[in-house]
Amino acid sequence: MKARMLVTHVALPVLAIAAASAQARAADFDWMKFKGKTVTFLANNNPVSQALLTYKADFEKLTGMTLKVDGYQEQQMRQRLVTVMNANSDEVDVFMTLPSREGEQFAAAGWYGDLTAMAKNDVAREYDPAGLSQALLKAATFGGKLTSMPMNIEGPIFYYRTDIFKKCGIEAPKTIKDVEAAAEKIKTCDSAVTPFVSRGLKPAIAYTFSNVLHNVGGSYIAAGKSNLCSAKGKEALDTYSRLLRDFGPPGVVNYSFQQISALYRSGRAAMAFESSNELRTVMEGGARLKDTGLLPFPAGEAGQVPTTIGWGMAVSSHSRQPDAAWYFVQWATSPEVQKKMALQGIAPPRPSVAKDPEYRKWIDEEPVRKEWQAALDVLATKGSSEVGYPIVANPESREFIGQAVQDLILKQKPIDQACADADKALDALIAQK
Amino acid sequence: MSDAAATITRDRQRLEMSALSAPAVIFTVAMIAFPVVYTIWLGFQTFSSTGKQSFAGLANYSKLISDYEFWHGLWITIALFVLSLVLQLVFGVWLALVLFHAKRLPGIVRSLFISPFMMPPVVAGMMWLVILDPSLGAANYILQSLGLPPSDWLASPSLVIPTIALIDSWQWTPYVALIVLGGLQSLPPSVYEAAQIDGATPFKTFPRITLPLLLPTIVTAAILRSVDLLRFFDIIYITTQGGPGNASNTLNIYGFRVGFEFFNIGYASALMLTLTAIVFGAVLAFNRLRGAVAW
Repeated sequence: MKARMLVTHVALPVLAIAAASAQARAADFDWMKFKGKTVTFLANNNPVSQALLTYKADFEKLTGMTLKVDGYQEQQMRQRLVTVMNANSDEVDVFMTLPSREGEQFAAAGWYGDLTAMAKNDVAREYDPAGLSQALLKAATFGGKLTSMPMNIEGPIFYYRTDIFKKCGIEAPKTIKDVEAAAEKIKTCDSAVTPFVSRGLKPAIAYTFSNVLHNVGGSYIAAGKSNLCSAKGKEALDTYSRLLRDFGPPGVVNYSFQQISALYRSGRAAMAFESSNELRTVMEGGARLKDTGLLPFPAGEAGQVPTTIGWGMAVSSHSRQPDAAWYFVQWATSPEVQKKMALQGIAPPRPSVAKDPEYRKWIDEEPVRKEWQAALDVLATKGSSEVGYPIVANPESREFIGQAVQDLILKQKPIDQACADADKALDALIAQK
Repeated sequence: MSDAAATITRDRQRLEMSALSAPAVIFTVAMIAFPVVYTIWLGFQTFSSTGKQSFAGLANYSKLISDYEFWHGLWITIALFVLSLVLQLVFGVWLALVLFHAKRLPGIVRSLFISPFMMPPVVAGMMWLVILDPSLGAANYILQSLGLPPSDWLASPSLVIPTIALIDSWQWTPYVALIVLGGLQSLPPSVYEAAQIDGATPFKTFPRITLPLLLPTIVTAAILRSVDLLRFFDIIYITTQGGPGNASNTLNIYGFRVGFEFFNIGYASALMLTLTAIVFGAVLAFNRLRGAVAW
């Protein structure tokens, strides 16, 4: 009784007042508040930012601000960011970030501005911060601080050629073992195509390998130690490297998304495990539009635990105008802009946008888009953002995962030695505080 | 005007000229000195993964000694340097001789011969990455059309260094040829005329006259290429990023990754200063050689 009274007499009125004050704040929200200011955006020149920056003029018209874009390729963008942040420079107000990769590191270095209060209090009525993927918001929260707002949702998905599967009498794979069986059959049934392709370039491997590791029930760390030499770790290393060694293209150790998309698009691969972002590239020219099926990566002993990540927009902790910078972040991650980006093939991190009639119409135009969205729905609900080791030195950890896989692809080490060497190096990284 | 007055005027003029040019000189010296001094200072710092900085003394340099990747990178750097330099000097001299003797070669053909080094290395790297792709590339298509087995090129740990050396040589051999061609054109014709009178055949004049006279030019070309080859980065980064495994992980690539991917700027600075010392050492050695072969 007392508890109910507490709820009805105290909690509900407080919540009502809070909601009312938030609404009042939203009503007071003025997009022109920082008119005349210039916000500098350090962008990774990828399809996500390209789609966003199509509407740059809209932002400038809405806010009266000037948006200065400093765009680079991914690695060069990080290089520039490291230089700017180490110099405590205010040159960059907003930057793109991958929380799954550098989140721990940048948060520990104090490079992210804290968006928690701004995302709660300083928002336009239509912004709806709660409508963003909660999993991605959680992945961008470090030490209780919200560090970036999600721009998209992505992860590796399984592309396969329905015509080749039909010709060879193979069903769409449901398990990892089915993938291997299909690859084996395709090797004899259609020797002109590469049965399976995925990432073999050392720094890029963790992105796809993590999905295999999690699907078979493995984990990167157990009891504070690197876990690649566990039974599940070895199973994942063995499976992933065997698929690439026995069924992958020659030279797969230099393959990242560019080569994989090119190979699959040209019709020379029957199965590809690559980013959902590559759909547009893979479908360029339309050759693969009618003969491609899409799935989340087939299940292992632990079921399907797809890798789900997303690019985020962060405000630099050295920005002299974090409030104005936040306005840009807010505009870029608003439902309206994310809907426009979705219509350009950028998977929205907002379930509401994914259900929007206009977007659904675009999805329904092609069966492959429907399968793409269905796969993304699985990523959104079941996904894990763990790509590489969940430690501050995550980027370096990916090196050692990649090295172990490459050692096996190239048959340079037996599996026990490959995983032991990796574990030893990774334990040293884990021990770094 | 007396001598004393003239001296005072001259001194004043000198002083004025020095004062006027001082800002430009100071700026230029600062532009050169600051990055070097800053890198030396960084080499004595340590940066944690979170960017926290502290004084490390010589720790970064003592770490080098026990770092397998450093020694491996040094070995790869030297192997690539030697292989590429030999290829570029041999084919550069050959190409220069061809261009020197083929006087009727149309200008467009001459321009085509020397065009690769005008291409940005990033473009050259991308182009060769596509050509050498084991599945889709033209190189294996040609090999197979000729009944030869395909190759893994950049994806093979044992072939990656020779392949990168070939790419670099494709790009920079014409540059060496251009330098050597200049040397050939400046050789005194009287020496050849005397040799001809003595009955020397072209096969004898090349090793006994042309090559010794060309040596200072060849050494100059070697110095210029050595500096570039020891700090070779772009084509490797574009084509292999140091892979497969660590098979093409030169000191430069390793230093870049340590600094800009793993954020250990202090150790990366120590690596790069060590590489700079190696470059200086090589230049000094070649300079001495040039002194020895000068005529």
